[in-house]
Amino acid sequence: MGGRVAQISLTAVVLLLGLLLVLQLRSQARPTEISSLSAQDLSTLIETLSDRNRQLRAAVADAREQLREYRVAESQGQSALGVSGEDLRRITAFGGRGAVQGQGIVVTVDGQLDAIAVNDLLNELRNAGAEAIAVDAVRITARSVCVQAPLTLQIDGTMIGKQFMIRAVGDPNGLLAALQRPGGIISQLQLFVSATIDVQQSAQVTIPASHLDLAPRIAKPAA
Amino acid sequence: MADVTRRFSPRRVRVGWALSIAVALGIVGFAGTAQWNGSIERQQFTTSAQQVLAGQVVALEDEQKTLRDQLGTAEKQVQQFQTESAGSQTALAQLNKQLAAARLAAGLTKVTGPGVVIEIADSKVQVPAGENPANYIVLVDDLHDIVTALWASGAEAIAINGERLVSTSSIYGVGASILVNTAFLAPPFRVEAIGPDGLLDRFLGNQAYLGRVAHRIDAFGLEFATQSQGDLRLPAFVGNTRFRWAVPLEGS
Repeated sequence: MGGRVAQISLTAVVLLLGLLLVLQLRSQARPTEISSLSAQDLSTLIETLSDRNRQLRAAVADAREQLREYRVAESQGQSALGVSGEDLRRITAFGGRGAVQGQGIVVTVDGQLDAIAVNDLLNELRNAGAEAIAVDAVRITARSVCVQAPLTLQIDGTMIGKQFMIRAVGDPNGLLAALQRPGGIISQLQLFVSATIDVQQSAQVTIPASHLDLAPRIAKPAA
Repeated sequence: MADVTRRFSPRRVRVGWALSIAVALGIVGFAGTAQWNGSIERQQFTTSAQQVLAGQVVALEDEQKTLRDQLGTAEKQVQQFQTESAGSQTALAQLNKQLAAARLAAGLTKVTGPGVVIEIADSKVQVPAGENPANYIVLVDDLHDIVTALWASGAEAIAINGERLVSTSSIYGVGASILVNTAFLAPPFRVEAIGPDGLLDRFLGNQAYLGRVAHRIDAFGLEFATQSQGDLRLPAFVGNTRFRWAVPLEGS
């Protein structure tokens, strides 16, 4: 009898122990606690997350519209070629193997920027929602990084001179504001580098396709 | 036989149980205290205004998870339509092959292959009085530099804490917190990259990009580890791939 009571007690203790350990591990899983951020950081985070959720909602609506088009084509006995062809153009352009055009901004740089500064500028444009970016004639893909070659900067094997243009398609107001905000990337760069950086909005920016074959050679599709 | 009887005598069994329970209770007490203290400590940083804002952030993160699930489901259904139509016509089969290749190149497909894992986490060193605590945590620039060095070293696919990087991906810092794509990530950060042989050696030799983070690892004790792996699996990007401003050009 005593043994059974002890067994039940031990089981209860072990269950409680498990629960407490899980709680403890979960509480340690996010050392950068949301509640420990400053009110200003939280406001920025809310703005950013709200904006990205808006984009996701639009993407869900678009995907559902595409599904509807497939269903309509199917119910009418039509080929899905048209819908799939449009999807191929979109995905090819998203990856960087297709050219795109649209509103955006043109950044003209003249001076001594190092590779890290160029990469920071490109990242800032992506942060601000740029949908496609090119530096001179080089389309920026996921894998594109600016590197310091012996005499000059290079992106994807193409030399970038002291004067170059970055073109980005996206919300012209959002892109301009992100680059020019006080304490933003341009004001930071101008503290450290000797360069002029001019930003203009443009009603029509054309971004070329990447000249690289972007098909991975080592990474294979997983089941 | 006598040994066995001695080993399992009722008195010894009772003592054994008592000891087990005592140890277990001790651990429960420790874990309970740690949990209680942790909760108190976190609460102390929070004003009511911050609590309201933090609540909004959590709600937005939950909404994002739902939206990403919905998007993933819709995209899967789209692909299913495309695949199922393939058998009927040669042109569709060809188009679907092109679609699969385009998705793979754009990071919209799960991939597998050899590569490297880089892990970086906040320092466990006690922040000395008067020093900036930000020096002792992983900052957005550390991740930028690691990712840039990996791409420059020949990586073909990269994910950070399961967030696959694509052409529109950004690594964005808000205070001490870091957003990758749309997700709010917390340390430790696990950067996985698939790429050709020698990726880890080229990465570690890339001082142009690793100089800053190497200095912070040495000076402030950020936790850092690297490992080559024969078979990594990286998830597909789940997020917005649809243009609002850009129009794909015909024939490109």
